Amino acid sequence: MIDLLQSLIDGLGRGSIYALLALGIAVIFGVMHMVNFAHGELITVGAYVAFAVVVTAGWAWWAAAPLIFVAAVGTSVAIEFVAFRWVRGSSDFTMLLTSFAVHFLVQAIFVMTMGASVRSFPRPDWADRVWSVGDLNIQVIDVVVIGATAATMAVTVYLLQRTMFGISLRAAAEDFDAARLMGVRSNKVIRQAFILAGALAGIAAIFFLMRTGQARPTTGLSPLLKGILAAIIGGLGNMQGAVYGGLLLGVSEVLLRSWLPEDLVGITDGVVFALIALFFIFRPQGLLNVRSAERV
Amino acid sequence: MQGLLSNRVGSQLVGSAVLFAVLVLGGLAYASGGAPARDILVTQMLINAIMVIGLQIYIGNTGVLSFGHMGFAAISGYAFALLATTVERKARIVPDVPLGLDGVSLNPLVAAAAAVVVTAVAGLVVGLGLARSGAKSGAVAATVITLALLFMVHEVGGAYADLTGGRNGISFSVGRGLDSRLWVYLGLIGAIVLARLFKSSRIGRMAQAAREDDLAARAMGINPARGQMVALLLSVAVVSVAASLRVFQLGSVAPSTFFFDYTLLTLVMLIVGGRNSIAGSVLGVALMTVVNETTRHLADVEIDGGPTDVLDIVLRPGLTDIVLGGSMLAFMIFRARGLIEDWEVDHWLRRRFSRRDATPTPVEAAPAPEPAQLSAAGITVDFGGFRALERAGLEASNLEVVGLIGPNGAGKTTLLNVVTGLVEAAEGSATLTEQSAGSPEVRPITGSEPFEVARAGLARTFQNLRLFPALTVRENVNIAALVASRHRPSGDRPTVEQLLVHAGLWELRDRRARELDYGNARRLELVRAAALAPIYILLDEPTSGMSNIESVAMIDEVRALASAVGAGVVVIDHDLAFITGVCDRIYCLDQGRVIAAGTPEEIHADPQVQAAYLGAAAITPHG
Repeated sequence: MIDLLQSLIDGLGRGSIYALLALGIAVIFGVMHMVNFAHGELITVGAYVAFAVVVTAGWAWWAAAPLIFVAAVGTSVAIEFVAFRWVRGSSDFTMLLTSFAVHFLVQAIFVMTMGASVRSFPRPDWADRVWSVGDLNIQVIDVVVIGATAATMAVTVYLLQRTMFGISLRAAAEDFDAARLMGVRSNKVIRQAFILAGALAGIAAIFFLMRTGQARPTTGLSPLLKGILAAIIGGLGNMQGAVYGGLLLGVSEVLLRSWLPEDLVGITDGVVFALIALFFIFRPQGLLNVRSAERV
Repeated sequence: MQGLLSNRVGSQLVGSAVLFAVLVLGGLAYASGGAPARDILVTQMLINAIMVIGLQIYIGNTGVLSFGHMGFAAISGYAFALLATTVERKARIVPDVPLGLDGVSLNPLVAAAAAVVVTAVAGLVVGLGLARSGAKSGAVAATVITLALLFMVHEVGGAYADLTGGRNGISFSVGRGLDSRLWVYLGLIGAIVLARLFKSSRIGRMAQAAREDDLAARAMGINPARGQMVALLLSVAVVSVAASLRVFQLGSVAPSTFFFDYTLLTLVMLIVGGRNSIAGSVLGVALMTVVNETTRHLADVEIDGGPTDVLDIVLRPGLTDIVLGGSMLAFMIFRARGLIEDWEVDHWLRRRFSRRDATPTPVEAAPAPEPAQLSAAGITVDFGGFRALERAGLEASNLEVVGLIGPNGAGKTTLLNVVTGLVEAAEGSATLTEQSAGSPEVRPITGSEPFEVARAGLARTFQNLRLFPALTVRENVNIAALVASRHRPSGDRPTVEQLLVHAGLWELRDRRARELDYGNARRLELVRAAALAPIYILLDEPTSGMSNIESVAMIDEVRALASAVGAGVVVIDHDLAFITGVCDRIYCLDQGRVIAAGTPEEIHADPQVQAAYLGAAAITPHG
């Protein structure tokens, strides 16, 4: 029982980051019908910002956090402006490959300018602290991540439900053409979607980097894949589903790690992929998505 | 010679040979008189060409973006290395190898063949999964499944050291290595010919139709899963050959041999020339090889004066990847279909050497068909909480034109969708009764897949027009005729050419469907349905978006076409004038129920119809 509770807390800590990324991916999918494989690059950019601030400039972590956030939002908007704007409305195939191209391009730019090697930066000293409550060992950072994610989600829900921006965004996600006829400006709503997605990724990046303390060109790849998987588990374009998908993925990963036999622990990620592939085979539309059938 | 070039398969073989010769001779010209490094580069280019053609067979024909092909390549590479490496070498680097592989050392050719078998089994498993997930062009779930394969293989490759040698992989030398290019040449010409013939094969063309529009393909009697599976298996076999050659040439295989970098390189090569073309794939390989080499040299020049070797290592991979990623992005934005789209060498050969098509003879009206009856009764459909149809039904003989009218949201299209297998009914059933050898044969329709319904003889069109946009006008119709030739009883039916002339599309036959204006596109969809040699043609708002004059002309076209192929017609429209002009009998739907049925005159006079159409005020004039 204690073990299960322990796994649940660890899993939610992990899953929170996936949920933030997945939500951003779902928001972008909503307005563009594109799965953004370049979403992880926002974390990579954040990682190099963290390295520059904490190591090169020697500042404290609390100064790095807002800069990581700003960098993620800025990169998100920039990528939309440079690449995604031009393939809007293209076939799914084209958009999928476009986002892959951006993913590779950003990665290659970092390889060229910063090198392929790992740059480490110190993590905040409280990140490693553990609270012991009875038999439970709770990592401080898990608590902070879960709390911050909950707060972010609350703000996001408010934005989506109560503001003009949120209403336009949801309308556009439901039916872009109809939304446009009702006066939603497509350029604006898409730009706003990328700002929101960038902000969510920025928050995810701060905590992800506090945990790992590393920057390299491929930093964003693993969280990106988890974010995409979570978004699809939740039913692509379903924002609520994306959040559940992220938390579910985090918890299942931790549980899997504790259940798997010794020989297989090394390839936990591989097992996770296998299970998710199986999941998609039986429920390609995801957990929650009951999107009505294609119009004929 | 002329005969060979104007013949379909002949010209494809000649075209393949031309492609092969151009790539190989170009490579040899570059290698001759250069450093040995050039020799290696050319061999790599030729192997990459086989790999890219392998990708083309699947991605090009199905439109499913696969990232898993390098996962298949890795499986194949490891299988080859484990089977071909000498026993002594294996005892040193993978001493605990399972499955009794420690005592096996095969001839490289046999090892490569075995690797193909192993990889094909993996392909079969993944292919079944893809089919189950409903893979279609651009489907995300399919892409993620293939991505999962890539990562799984990569992880296992890195972690299961007993089998794979872990991160360092397996390095080996077999005999004198790949010192002659003979096997590469054979692999390349084989891959080119296979891909070219598959592209024009029956099953290949059906896969392309499903790529262009999955739903329309199914409504034309095509089962997309089948074409995708065949394409995947062929594709995986070619990729496997390329992977074995690559591992043989490198003398090693490791998790990084077939991972993201190589995925990026091969995908860029595939899309630059045109993913739907074999000539395009070869062009992309040649072009990107040149671009990559040039970048490498540029990086060299910049570094020459540099102080350290460290820069050299850093800059090179970064710069080439920037060029690759940048090319991919630029092509997606400016020319997503690639440089030459779906052009092939043999297109040019045939145009150059064959005579022009003779205009076909006009269509004669088909003899009166055996009577048949389409019946649907008690059909109820719920969408969530909304009841779209409530015990609705219709009866139509194949000797008449039956209309379905009703206001928006009355359930007309839903009824058509139930009859054609696209929507499942909660209650009720539909049957098709045919006369076979004098006695009626009843076959149930509800519960069948859309492609089965189409094969049974129900051909439909769509309200929002679903053609195969990148295919030519003639090919759009040919696809339906292809299905008819296999699944419809043979009889005296008009040829594709005759139907095109009949509909006035003959002059436009080589245009792509996406280039047609709206009226011709509608006409093409009608002809495509007729080419299926159906018992019924079901039309969903054939005049939507047309002017009055065009609608009136459409009346004649629908009637003429139906009599040319001997099919009954069921037509949905809300244009009362059109419906009255074309139909023998009419059903009127309102709020999911049939509220009236009868001849056009009876329907016009029916008070309930008037209420539904004009509002209640119309029948209570002073109320």
